[in-house]
Amino acid sequence: MRKIYIIGALACLFTACKPNVAVNTTLTQGEADFTNYLAIGNSLTAGYADGSLTSSGQLNSYPQRLFEQFQLVTNVKGTFVQPLLPGNYGYPWPKKVLTVTYNPCTGDTSLGAVDYPGALDSQNSHHYFSTVNNNQINNIGVPYIRAVDYLVDNYAINTAANGIPYALRFYNNPAGTPLDELAYRVHNLHPTFFTMWLGSNDVLGYALAGGQGDGTGAALPLSPNFYNANDISPYLVFDTAYDKAVNMAISTGAKGALINIPDITSLPFFTTIPINGLMITRQSQADSLQALWGPVTAKAVFQVGANNFMVTDHNGRVRQSVPGEYLMLTLPSDFICRGWGITVPIPKEYVITTEEMQNINNAIISYNNFIQYEAKIHNLAYVDIHSFLGSVATGYTYNGIKYSTQYISGGSFSLDGLHPSPRGYALIANEILKSINTKYKSNMPMLEVNKYHGIDFQ
Amino acid sequence: MKKHVLAASLLLSAATSFGAGYQLNLQGLRQVAMGGTGTAWPWDASTIFYNPGGLARLKGIQAYASVMNIMPATAYGNQEHSGNTGSSELSKTRTFTPFNVYIGGPVQQDSRFALGLGVYSAAGLGLSWNDDWIGKYMVQSIDLQTISFQPTLSYRVGDFLSIGAGFVYTAGTFDLRKALPVHGPLGPFQGNTWDEGVAHLHGNANGVGFNAGIQMKFSEHFQVGATYRSQVNMDIGSGSAEFGVPLSLRSSFQNTTFESALPIPQVATLGIGVRPGERLTLTVDVSYIGWNSYDSLRIDFAKTSKTVQNIREPRKYKNTVTPRIGANYKVSKVVSLMAGGAYDPTPVTDGFVSPELPDADRINLSCGIAIKPLPGFTILAALEGTSSVKRQSTYDYGNFNGVYQTQAVTMGIGLYYNF
Repeated sequence: MRKIYIIGALACLFTACKPNVAVNTTLTQGEADFTNYLAIGNSLTAGYADGSLTSSGQLNSYPQRLFEQFQLVTNVKGTFVQPLLPGNYGYPWPKKVLTVTYNPCTGDTSLGAVDYPGALDSQNSHHYFSTVNNNQINNIGVPYIRAVDYLVDNYAINTAANGIPYALRFYNNPAGTPLDELAYRVHNLHPTFFTMWLGSNDVLGYALAGGQGDGTGAALPLSPNFYNANDISPYLVFDTAYDKAVNMAISTGAKGALINIPDITSLPFFTTIPINGLMITRQSQADSLQALWGPVTAKAVFQVGANNFMVTDHNGRVRQSVPGEYLMLTLPSDFICRGWGITVPIPKEYVITTEEMQNINNAIISYNNFIQYEAKIHNLAYVDIHSFLGSVATGYTYNGIKYSTQYISGGSFSLDGLHPSPRGYALIANEILKSINTKYKSNMPMLEVNKYHGIDFQ
Repeated sequence: MKKHVLAASLLLSAATSFGAGYQLNLQGLRQVAMGGTGTAWPWDASTIFYNPGGLARLKGIQAYASVMNIMPATAYGNQEHSGNTGSSELSKTRTFTPFNVYIGGPVQQDSRFALGLGVYSAAGLGLSWNDDWIGKYMVQSIDLQTISFQPTLSYRVGDFLSIGAGFVYTAGTFDLRKALPVHGPLGPFQGNTWDEGVAHLHGNANGVGFNAGIQMKFSEHFQVGATYRSQVNMDIGSGSAEFGVPLSLRSSFQNTTFESALPIPQVATLGIGVRPGERLTLTVDVSYIGWNSYDSLRIDFAKTSKTVQNIREPRKYKNTVTPRIGANYKVSKVVSLMAGGAYDPTPVTDGFVSPELPDADRINLSCGIAIKPLPGFTILAALEGTSSVKRQSTYDYGNFNGVYQTQAVTMGIGLYYNF
């Protein structure tokens, strides 16, 4: 009898000894309706990464990630159509891949990003037509597009003529404005929810060109409604175009989220090559540089250790750079061996001076203020990616991974240093989801960011 | 008789021995069955562990051996991701079989001196998650297995007082495996093909300490014991650190050796035993456990680089006090039944609940039986159930949070023989 009881207790324990912490939360869309989702934006919305657009990049876009979460709470399941490319090596130019290369300049063999060396798989990439529900497209992100471009006629045709074919691929009316295209998509899709991430290119073009043009946010049009892509978009035109796009997006009663513009110092493209990377090991080197540059610019100082590079600034003046100035990732990898920054000033198109930086920051503040204002008056969610990427820049740990905006090793940005990696896009999608959850009292679970790829190594 | 057995099994149905932290409290079967108490009452040769001062109380030399089987399981859930990736994840099923061997007692009939040797496991830890689980970049599996050797000397000062002490040498192995966030073709690494980096740390550990106690017999009905087990610092002098990474990163992740240390905490225990009548013995132990010596998980690599850097993960354990109660009921000359329970609070504070040891306050319930089929020969069996509370907490260092619960069933069987 005794034995039977004890065996009975044992059996009970074995079956009961499975701890279970299943968490039951009620997922709900709250006040939002995600049935028909429209994503509006630029390259960040299109899923651009590693310096090009690819099918896999598109499938890792933040709108794709958002849609997957929307599906968890939406009562009526919608479909999500992206203008997918057929290939994975880049269109129209090759994407960047990581490879071990020998650098004849430094004599090092190191890991670096190079253009994908093989044949591209870009046949039939030039045109996309959706076969779903009469040409339904849910992601109309177009790489390079600015907010001010929304008012430009023939946008798709003109950009394609300049070698940027992304709008022409799928625009319904290439002769119209992007705002016309948005109107067509809104009419076609009747979006119940939209996200809009526009504005980065209104300032990035100026930054990437090394600060050409006026930079004050008061530029005049080159042709009707068309502004120099290498200058900062005029603040007032930005506001007008942005407001028209938002009004169009909400014209069928859609709710949505507006995403602001990140700080460019959050982008590894501008922070990877240090401005004070001129290393001097011997006093004699410092002396000879002092002798070389002293007569040119009185402020140049060289000493053993780290020194600021010599640059040509936006005014064409040769001078030594100062802290707070930035160099671009597109600097040739052998620039030091060419003597750039040392005996030859670094050309101005690679340099962002403090004055340019000030222009860039002023523009971002102005644009972001307006985006926040639009979110407020139209009662939309406002996503402060500017702050979020700022926190990633200082180190952001997530489920055991330390993300940062360090080039390659930081894990959050792709090989172009400007666009996120799949994990970076998922981190951003989570921030958007949080804003939507708060604004619309919805309860959507967060993405498991680490499930997606960071940088792919060989 | 049936009545007694029922009482014991009712106790068990409520719960589930891994102790809190990575301390083990499984060094004697009768004591396990009595909630882990054993400081006041020297039942058998396992008092070498529970109170070396009690060894001189034994009637003669005794040989003692027991083996246990533990099947712990930990569940993890994450509210943030629930509904998305499955809300609960269960650790891999693993079985551990710690054993104890003691031999010792008064050197001669009626001698005041007693000698003994104990071989037992004082600490241990083993947890394996699925390789692709959400916390894989912190831990995929961890193991700490130890065995302690304790030669012991005990002296019976008089009928009232008996004292004893032993030197403790503990040896063990440490093993940690986790994923590295670098994607790419790895090829085979340690027998498996991965598409993501992996780090594997493995090493031998050892340390020394002591175990001392006094045992006071106020009467046949009332006994008291007090013990102190010192901290044993388990040093890993030269473990191997191996990294499986994509080819292009091999030069950044070179295999190396590492050095580390993990403390088995000091424990001070006061125990009281009461035997009001012939049959029933009641025991209470209260232990103070010095966990605060585990301040951080420290791993120093012999060769560091930009990518392989020394590890300093904060643990900040706090000291704990564990109360235990137990009962032994002598049903007949042949059979005794035991039952007990303990509240084992966790040393891990909020914000530091890391997935390699997602600890929480535990309740232990136990029961057992001792049968004496022949004079001088006793068979023991014990059963213990442990369950932690469900703990919602965070691991701030890794910005990782969730709900955890650990349960374990321990079965043990053993015997001893008096020469």
